[in-house]
Amino acid sequence: MAQVIFLRYMPGDTLLHKMDGRLKLFCLVVLSVAVGLATGWIHFLVLLGATVTALVWAKLPLGALLRDWRFFAVIGVVILVANAVFVPGEPLLPYFPLVEVSQEGLGVGLRFAGRLLLIVMVCSAVMGTTPISVLRDALEWCLRPVPFVPAARVAMMMNLTIVFVCVIMDNYAEMVYAQKSRCVESCRNPIKRMKFLALPLLTRTLQRTEEIVYAMESRCYSETRTQPIFTAHKADWGVAGACLGVLIFVSSG
Amino acid sequence: MPVLEARNLTHVFADGTTALRDVSLKIGEGEFVILTGANGSGKTVFVRHLNGLLLPTQGVVTLDDVPITHNLVEVRRSIGLVFQDADSQIIGQTVAEDVAFGPENLRWPREAVQRVVKEALAVVGMEELSDRNPHTLSGGQKRRLTVAGVLAMKPGILIFDEPFTGLDYRGVVQILERLVRLHELGHTVVLVTHELEKALAHADRLVVFDRGRLAEDGEPTAVIEGVEKYGVRRPHKTGEELSALTWLR
Ligand SMILES: Nc1ncnc2c1ncn2[C@@H]1O[C@H](COP(=O)(O)OP(=O)(O)O)[C@@H](O)[C@H]1O
Ligand SMILES: [Mg+2]
Repeated sequence: MAQVIFLRYMPGDTLLHKMDGRLKLFCLVVLSVAVGLATGWIHFLVLLGATVTALVWAKLPLGALLRDWRFFAVIGVVILVANAVFVPGEPLLPYFPLVEVSQEGLGVGLRFAGRLLLIVMVCSAVMGTTPISVLRDALEWCLRPVPFVPAARVAMMMNLTIVFVCVIMDNYAEMVYAQKSRCVESCRNPIKRMKFLALPLLTRTLQRTEEIVYAMESRCYSETRTQPIFTAHKADWGVAGACLGVLIFVSSG
Repeated sequence: MPVLEARNLTHVFADGTTALRDVSLKIGEGEFVILTGANGSGKTVFVRHLNGLLLPTQGVVTLDDVPITHNLVEVRRSIGLVFQDADSQIIGQTVAEDVAFGPENLRWPREAVQRVVKEALAVVGMEELSDRNPHTLSGGQKRRLTVAGVLAMKPGILIFDEPFTGLDYRGVVQILERLVRLHELGHTVVLVTHELEKALAHADRLVVFDRGRLAEDGEPTAVIEGVEKYGVRRPHKTGEELSALTWLR
């Protein structure tokens, strides 16, 4: 049933799976910043290399992930085309008919699309190797010294958001199948089809929310919980150092 | 001595639906009670009151003569509720993480949490799966996981809301075995089900709900005679055979 694996934890015992949650959170932030700062193609290449290494190292199922990423690839292409067409600048081909594609636009578009895909890949690598509770505890650990931020609540909210994204994606996949089996594809009106999906999905999600709230309450949900124990090994620092290295490389020019 | 008592519970939902009408029920320590009734008769709403998840419009629920609202956390710890829909009860991303959710909320020390998680998984026979992602488990395993999640809080009273729904023969037997075993170990067990033929033999009492009212309450072999008028299937057995009804060998 559940075929969407993007953002889903996949158990394993690789170094990345066992890595300290706090350092992993650090790597996530560092790599995200690096992706945001990347401009030249060499930056993108280095970042791509780093993420692919991580994904392979963690033995995550690349084929299945690629299938999930297609969705983001479509968004990437839309961004690319929109930028190429609407950003003014030197035309790419002097006598291109109908629309004018600018060099600047193409460059901006490529960068945006590349960043989007890289972020998705970085998230896949981190989420695929880390149970949410570890990320949640790490986030709480980082937020604890920050005044006026209810660390436990923020961390639990993040935890629930991810649980929900998974639940919604599952529901969505199931509903698509269920509607296909009732020949929804012969309905040509895309707005109608959106309505068939969006409304039931919304109701299901709301019902589900209510159930999850009850389930959490019945298991004594509280913001003051057993404290997590973190241990950082040498190799963890090594990975964090490598991520920092990538960031320094990307931001230095 | 009644441990858990509901007195004159009435529950009216915000949309005006009256789901419970003046329901009173005492459940004694160590009892095995089956709650039955047609769909929509108010069984789920009732057991949610026993856990303090829903609060009555009128009436009160007490545990050892103390209204449960006085200490809801302790009540929820000591009264484990296994939901009908396993998927919404699973919060963790690994089996072990999910079982630890309750004990961590109770702020038990880390070692204690690890110990109870192991014990609970052993009871449901899932030690080997502790690192699996719950989403990838079978229906029966998910149901057993939710049982473990509740057992980890060391409750004395266990409430199972339709635990057999959607399970195959083996799945039902595996849940039923645990349920009976836990009762033998001294837990009070409340089993909500309309599939009487699966577990009747183990019950001390049979309680029937009908459109929000408590219609019958008594000796299983006596109460079962009239269940069909409340929309519950009466197994076609008589006398001796009735008290031997179970899916366990
Ligand atoms: N949140 C709600 N709002 C309004 N009515 C509800 C709600 N939840 C349950 N009900 C109604 O309460 C009645 C009892 O439901 P329930 O206890 O779930 O039945 P069951 O015996 O099948 O478990 C039903 O008529 C149902 O429609
Ligand atoms: Mg129900």
